[in-house]
Amino acid sequence: MNDHLVQQQPAAIQNAASAEAQRLVDSAVGHHVTGPEYWRSIEHYSQSSEVQKLIDEEFAGYDPKSLLTTSRRRFMQFMGASFALAGLTLTGCRRWPRETLAPFSGAPKDRTPGVPESFATVFEMGGVGVGVLAEAFDGRPIKIEGNPEHADSLGAAGAFEQASILELYDPDRSKVVIDQTSGKAAVSTREQFVDTLVANIKAGNIAVLSESLGGPTADALRAQAVAAGVKWYEYEPVSRDNESAGLALALGKRYRPVLNLEAADVAVFLDCDPLMRHPARLRYARQWSARRRTADAEGVMSRVYVAETTYTNTGAVADVRIPVRPARIAALAHAIGKALGSKAAIDMALADEAEKNFVAQVVADLQSAQGKAVVAAGLQQPPEVHALVASINEQLKAPGSTLSYLPVSEHEAGRPTHLESIKSLAADIKSGAVKSLIIIGGNPAFDAPADLDLAKAIASVPYSARLGLYYDETSKVCKWHAPRAHYLEAWGDSRGWDGSISLAQPIIEPLYNGWSAIELMALLGGASGVSGYDLVRKTAQSYIDKLQFERVWKRSLHDGVVAKSARDAQQVRVGPMKLTQPAAAPAEFDITFLSDASMYDGRHANSGWLQELPDPITKMTWDNPALISKSDADRAGIKTGDIINIKVAGRSLDIAAYIAPGQAKGAVTLLLGYGRTASGHIGTDTGFNTYSLRTAAGMDATTGTISVTGRDYLLAMTQDHFLLDEIGFDAREQRAGSKGHSGRIVREGTLAEYAEHLKSPDGKTTKPGFVSGEEEEDRSLALQLFDQRVYEARHAWGMTIDMNACIGCMACVVACQAENNIPVVGKEQVNKNREMHWLRIDRYYKSAPGRGDNVGPNDPNPQIVFMPLMCVHCENAPCEQVCPVAATMHDSEGLNTMVYNRCIGTRYCSNNCPYKVRRFNYLDWQSKDPRGFAKPWLGIPDDQQEQSISKIKQMVFNPDVTVRMRGVMEKCTYCVQRIHNVKIRKRNLTPGGIEQIIDGDIVTACQQTCPTNAIIFGDLKDTSAEVVRGQQSPRAYPVLEDLNTRPRTLHLAKLRNAPVTAAASHEA
Amino acid sequence: MIRGRIQGCWVCGPMLSLSISASNALANMPETHTKDLEQAAPQTSGRRFVFPRWANYLLPLLVLGALGGALYTPVLVGLGASPLTTDVGYQPHQPVPYSHALHAGQLKFDCRSCHATVESAAFAAIPPTQTCMNCHTGIKPDSPALKPVRESWTTGKPIQWVRVHDLPDYAYFNHSAHVNKGVGCVSCHGRIDKMEIVSQEKPLSMGWCLDCHRAPEKYLRPLDQVTNMAWEPPNGDQLAIGSELKNKYHIQDTAYMTSCSTCHR
Repeated sequence: MNDHLVQQQPAAIQNAASAEAQRLVDSAVGHHVTGPEYWRSIEHYSQSSEVQKLIDEEFAGYDPKSLLTTSRRRFMQFMGASFALAGLTLTGCRRWPRETLAPFSGAPKDRTPGVPESFATVFEMGGVGVGVLAEAFDGRPIKIEGNPEHADSLGAAGAFEQASILELYDPDRSKVVIDQTSGKAAVSTREQFVDTLVANIKAGNIAVLSESLGGPTADALRAQAVAAGVKWYEYEPVSRDNESAGLALALGKRYRPVLNLEAADVAVFLDCDPLMRHPARLRYARQWSARRRTADAEGVMSRVYVAETTYTNTGAVADVRIPVRPARIAALAHAIGKALGSKAAIDMALADEAEKNFVAQVVADLQSAQGKAVVAAGLQQPPEVHALVASINEQLKAPGSTLSYLPVSEHEAGRPTHLESIKSLAADIKSGAVKSLIIIGGNPAFDAPADLDLAKAIASVPYSARLGLYYDETSKVCKWHAPRAHYLEAWGDSRGWDGSISLAQPIIEPLYNGWSAIELMALLGGASGVSGYDLVRKTAQSYIDKLQFERVWKRSLHDGVVAKSARDAQQVRVGPMKLTQPAAAPAEFDITFLSDASMYDGRHANSGWLQELPDPITKMTWDNPALISKSDADRAGIKTGDIINIKVAGRSLDIAAYIAPGQAKGAVTLLLGYGRTASGHIGTDTGFNTYSLRTAAGMDATTGTISVTGRDYLLAMTQDHFLLDEIGFDAREQRAGSKGHSGRIVREGTLAEYAEHLKSPDGKTTKPGFVSGEEEEDRSLALQLFDQRVYEARHAWGMTIDMNACIGCMACVVACQAENNIPVVGKEQVNKNREMHWLRIDRYYKSAPGRGDNVGPNDPNPQIVFMPLMCVHCENAPCEQVCPVAATMHDSEGLNTMVYNRCIGTRYCSNNCPYKVRRFNYLDWQSKDPRGFAKPWLGIPDDQQEQSISKIKQMVFNPDVTVRMRGVMEKCTYCVQRIHNVKIRKRNLTPGGIEQIIDGDIVTACQQTCPTNAIIFGDLKDTSAEVVRGQQSPRAYPVLEDLNTRPRTLHLAKLRNAPVTAAASHEA
Repeated sequence: MIRGRIQGCWVCGPMLSLSISASNALANMPETHTKDLEQAAPQTSGRRFVFPRWANYLLPLLVLGALGGALYTPVLVGLGASPLTTDVGYQPHQPVPYSHALHAGQLKFDCRSCHATVESAAFAAIPPTQTCMNCHTGIKPDSPALKPVRESWTTGKPIQWVRVHDLPDYAYFNHSAHVNKGVGCVSCHGRIDKMEIVSQEKPLSMGWCLDCHRAPEKYLRPLDQVTNMAWEPPNGDQLAIGSELKNKYHIQDTAYMTSCSTCHR
């Protein structure tokens, strides 16, 4: 009994044991004092006093005195006066403001007020579209979901797609036409813009600089304009041109490679992040996860090898990963190619034992998986590496099974590369050949190669007009600016990665009367006043059969994708080619550029959701520090947060440094997209403009030197936030004896161990990580301090989170934010542990076995585990036991509910939550500028009380979820609004009857968007439900099981599938 | 010093002086206290402490205060529960003098003929102008009272009806969930069919909601009688039919019906 009493003690008491006392206990019983096995940061591993403080104190650094600028006495006077005033006017007790109801004059067909509808449309980025469903509530889009019909979505949506809804309602969006011909910005009209544009078109000599637009309508209009003499330039700062150029080298012309990871037993990614940084990332992630899931049924899994410079999501979930400098990738590719008999491969020496082991394993596995293996290189790698990879894939018989080559559009096949294009534009402007320049989208003044000095060049063009969503860096240097319509406001079309055509339909009328890109392109062709709808329909006649046009058009609009419009794979052979010897790794630092996981190339800079979204690997918010390896940093005396100076070919940048575990030695990685100077209230002046070091000669990787400046910089990262208190558990184990086993937070095992476990008849194995029969007994026999609750309701909701499938892409975090009206708090507040995300993905590092003394941060290549964690809905919920006002209660179906209108903000619940998943509204975030400083709440004019939420910002709110105010606690609700809406809808089908809920009817927001299906929600009383199967898996375990909180959410242990020799190689 | 403090605070001062005088009287040891006071307040040295004249008013003041305190709570509770606060009887002026008494009462329109979404959606939709015009193109086409309706129809702009029944934003009431389970319109809205101008008849407070959520049998009626404002339980025995319908319509148990998440999200 005693030990259970101990288990039920509130976390606060456990926390009371100071780290120092714990160390004494440890040394007394002979524990070796090192960092935790799973560590979140270098500071966490070394158990620094700051991190210990974060664990010990629920509200670290919280000083109530700092909030009060007034004395207690003054406060009492204020309160007295407020009460008196409230009494005088009785305003406090009167009806809320008068509301009016405005029904339609003539109701639209099939529209029920208050019932959301979904429409298929397409989200385009970098010229490739991903099909999405936009959910509209009474005519205003409030949520984006993936489109199950679309091959590149399969029902999933990524962080960018999810966050695009916030962009629509961004108050900083450009709203008016701006005329800057006089040198000053003046508001003008659409008519004047068109008149000037048409006049300039008539005068001829028009050049267009456009972002990549991949739709058939854009293709047709571009061709028309080019035929009419318009010079067309196209530029994307993050371009896949290296890949198509490489394939042109190997196959004779440009192709688009499409992987089929579901067919791949072995996949080798060379500096390539197909699960995160690829237009088809959602599809690839789904395919990859399908091959992880086979572990449960068949005991087999695919094996993924990654060689890369910086930890990416694909690297994090790889079975074998090796950090190498970017220049070594080519060497590895040649070595692999040579061993597999590729004629193009050159004999190259491998640098060290690690490289040799990697190549040996890769070659052995690839050879034994002929026809079921694939190799891919990343967009940062030069064309020759892609050409070599094509020849390796041919050796592996990959084309036709794990890989297909699709033809590209006429435009894609013939255009110069983005880099050549922007270079020739700069040259043409310089030579005076460009008299009129029209810039469609993009942001070239910010993201073009720094040595071209394009901002200045654009400013020198006599007539320049810009169509942009924001009045940004490029608009500032143009003569005219016109607002662009958001994709949710306009008709359009796009092609997916496989070439399939999707139609985009407006979900809402343009809020600011903007044009879409195709409407402007139509103006170039001389047609004026043509609507986007007509343009898209006209183009559709070229790919939809005329006889059935209306029917197919409607169907395509409904489905979001035109049936059978994907391009067919072509049988191609790699021709003879002669590759040059790759350059040796330079003596200086390699500087590589990587698109940011939240900002991409900088276009999402004004999205508060994405700015505050922690980077999947570094867990950095609002910033993009330079990533540097521990050994390089130690040598130069750099700590995380120090400002370093990077010099590249005469250009220099001061940037904060971040010591990134797993970063290749000798390489510094710079993330693109930050340091915007004209992005709006959110994105301006966040982070560092790394484009300033990116020149035409070194777009992907270059070399440079770094030096220490002696200054430091405040970085807001969440990696040490909401740490689970392991030390407390150790202490309890000392007193109460061992419960469960190691891996109380994270559990993982190898596939071999798991297969052995599955085969063993009694379910008992010697290997830790999986639930053994003995442990099951433990779970059920545990003495209970509280009476076991009996759930008599029809449903009992539960969840599983598969850590073996999670790729840490953060889409769920944004989806949750969109669904549940979660506020953005700003960098200063993130630094105070006050970020509001209900769902977080903890990223733990762990040294692979056999690293000897190179453990912890000294391990050059630690492994990563992603662990999504939100409220686990404990049956013995510690939070409920301490709430003085019963604001957090169990409902009859087992949800741990949070009642905002009851909460008085004591924060006891958060203090007592061992999972640290409760979030408190310290300020009125929703009506507050997220970048502003916290306003002390008394003594100064209080704009938080006065200011209401902007009408435009309000439009993004989900009306089914309460918008919380200051002083209220909140947390994951299992999307209770979705549960109830589905139940009521089902019940309405048979008035007076019982709802028939089929597994999959209710999906939570995180589950719906997850590209790998890692999150499964369902009814634990439905024995056929997927969630029940998941919870019965030997991999299922409750996090912090020994606390006996009995969570409804179980996590599924991670599996690794490294070859047996891999461990040996690590030891070497 | 004490004197200064007595003057400084209106509430504590008199209390303090009263308690001092009381203890003086009770203890009957004036010497000691004088001594204490001498130490504390040298300016009164050598004299007994004498209350100023205004101290005579303290006792009546205290009595008044106690009476006020005793009144305060009932008044507060009374105000909180008064119709003024809960808005029972709230009857805003509407842009069109639409009479439910005429349409629903005399003409016997079913509620659902205008509030058509009540069985399928959370929100019982206010009918579009089109619904009015279905009849009023022929009936009273020139009535001055219907001018806003005709205007709305010709301009396409909505009529701005004033909301009568309004719940706080954190309470998620769903019409369809109630109507499809045998909760009659009249139970929450009162005899709309007798109202010339709609007013709020029930308090719509949480306690009032829970009254039914705890014991739905007190209010349930057959599904085909939901919109019948004049329905009476057979033999006047509501509990009998209510209990029967509670089982028949699979009404959830009290634990479910009173769970926070049932109404708050």
